[in-house]
Amino acid sequence: MTEQDAPILSVRDVQRDFGGVKAVDGATFNAQRGRITGLIGPNGAGKSTLMGIVAGAIKPMAGTVSFEGRDITGQPPHRIARHGLIRTFQLSAEFAKLTVLENLMVAAPGQKGESLLGAELGPLYWGRSEASLVRTARDVLDRFAMAPKENELAGNLSGGQKRLLEIMRALMAKPKMLLLDEPFAGVNPTLAREIERYLLDLRAEGLSMIMVEHELAVVERICDPVVVMAQGKVISEGSMRDVSARKEVLDAYLVG
Amino acid sequence: MSDQTQFYLSTLLIYLFIDIIGVLGLNLQFGVAGIINFAYIVFVAVGAYTAAVLSLGPDYPGNFQHYVFGANLPFPLPIVAAGVASGLLSLVVGVISLRRLRSDYQAMVMLVLSLIATLVATNATGLVNGPAGLATVPQPLYDWLGLAPLDYQWAYAGWCAVLTAVIFLFVRGITNSPLGRSLRAMRDNDRAAAALGKNVTAMRLLIFVVGGAIAGISGAVFVEFIQAWSPGSWLYPETFVFLAAILVGGAANNWGVMLGTLLVPVGFLEATRFLPQVFYNGFIEAMQWVCVGLLILVFLWFRPGGLIPERAGRYKPRAEAPSGTSE
Repeated sequence: MTEQDAPILSVRDVQRDFGGVKAVDGATFNAQRGRITGLIGPNGAGKSTLMGIVAGAIKPMAGTVSFEGRDITGQPPHRIARHGLIRTFQLSAEFAKLTVLENLMVAAPGQKGESLLGAELGPLYWGRSEASLVRTARDVLDRFAMAPKENELAGNLSGGQKRLLEIMRALMAKPKMLLLDEPFAGVNPTLAREIERYLLDLRAEGLSMIMVEHELAVVERICDPVVVMAQGKVISEGSMRDVSARKEVLDAYLVG
Repeated sequence: MSDQTQFYLSTLLIYLFIDIIGVLGLNLQFGVAGIINFAYIVFVAVGAYTAAVLSLGPDYPGNFQHYVFGANLPFPLPIVAAGVASGLLSLVVGVISLRRLRSDYQAMVMLVLSLIATLVATNATGLVNGPAGLATVPQPLYDWLGLAPLDYQWAYAGWCAVLTAVIFLFVRGITNSPLGRSLRAMRDNDRAAAALGKNVTAMRLLIFVVGGAIAGISGAVFVEFIQAWSPGSWLYPETFVFLAAILVGGAANNWGVMLGTLLVPVGFLEATRFLPQVFYNGFIEAMQWVCVGLLILVFLWFRPGGLIPERAGRYKPRAEAPSGTSE
């Protein structure tokens, strides 16, 4: 297997209980480079818990997670983010009292004035990198047609705009892979179409993604492959057309 | 102006500067970084105690008061040591309480810590001389300067002004920087900040220690002025006075919280001292706490941003108009 064929993310036999309830019960799957891997399943299947484990927010009780061939199991969220694995949240997680521009800028890794000493050295030290950060952030804003909102406090944005903000912010963090937790939840159809187009553009640029989503039509359009979870386990993998025809998948959705 | 008025005004000015230093430190923790430190006053008191014993000289048998770590350090070393001592204590408390607990539980830990600290200081008489505290703390450079008492007062006010300016610039260095932006992001949503690669535990600890050190410095300058220290002067409600100053002035805005300090601990608490005593002795003092509580509630309800609200970062506008300005 060459470097390019090796999966970017590999989840092996991951387990997690919450007070005796097996939220994730030996889940295993791979995500390939340059693809949008869909993660679907009925409510309570353990998708969000699994995403939390991959992103480091929840510690697994067993199993391994490796990213680009490196074992990242149990690492704290900020360290996993610094490897280039950036998650977005199911519920809006904007920095409410920061402007849209600031929300984007804050996400950039390795900023000069972010240490105490660096901060106290003042704009003479960090001013130049800050200025280039403003330009980068504005380029992202332009791309997502959010430039007019640049100085708006993020807390004042609409629900859909907050989803968009979250994707823009994740891009500022120099991701190699995005973990998108229901990026279309509560978004109006027009904006959802736009977000869909953005995600396809990003995929075309080579960005890998995992997307948890309930809206199966979207999953069918943009995800390949699709991983189906039920009761904490991965029960099926393949293209949406294939998995949706399988009996175990239908059973899982019908039984809940 | 009569000497008495001058004495009063200079004292008020000194209190204002010292309180501003304290409030700037708490604002860094609470307003900017979102750490709810109900034990802030403990770190002020520890700094004050440190500066006191390091100015008093070594304890000796037959001394009317007892303390630990007595020494006779020259100005300004006791103040520096106070910052270090409170900073170190913050590190210990922070490592224990800030790493794992949720912020609401952190707040409870801090409140309890505040109560425990007072009880220990009051009852373990061998440690910090119990409720009697310490007296006769020498004023810095008093003999060396050789000024008349009133002139010394003004000189001390001047020194406090300089120190306040230094602390203000230091704090602003943080709040106006990329670090300040990351702190505000952590305050607004720490999970999201961590998911973007911010080490929120390290940032919280950093600000807890920096704020604690500033608390210690404000306590040191205070104790060297009033020349006495007692656990009863730094009870937990004092933290709420600082918090009230922050909420009234405008959390996360350095100018706002300085205005809040002028209005709440200095203006409001001082003005009410001139009210005639009614009902019984101490009624006005008791009502002060009620009013501080009401003040916090009123502002949280009607003006949650405070008088001068937090200001988001401003950046040079674009050279050309942004695309898609249809809205």
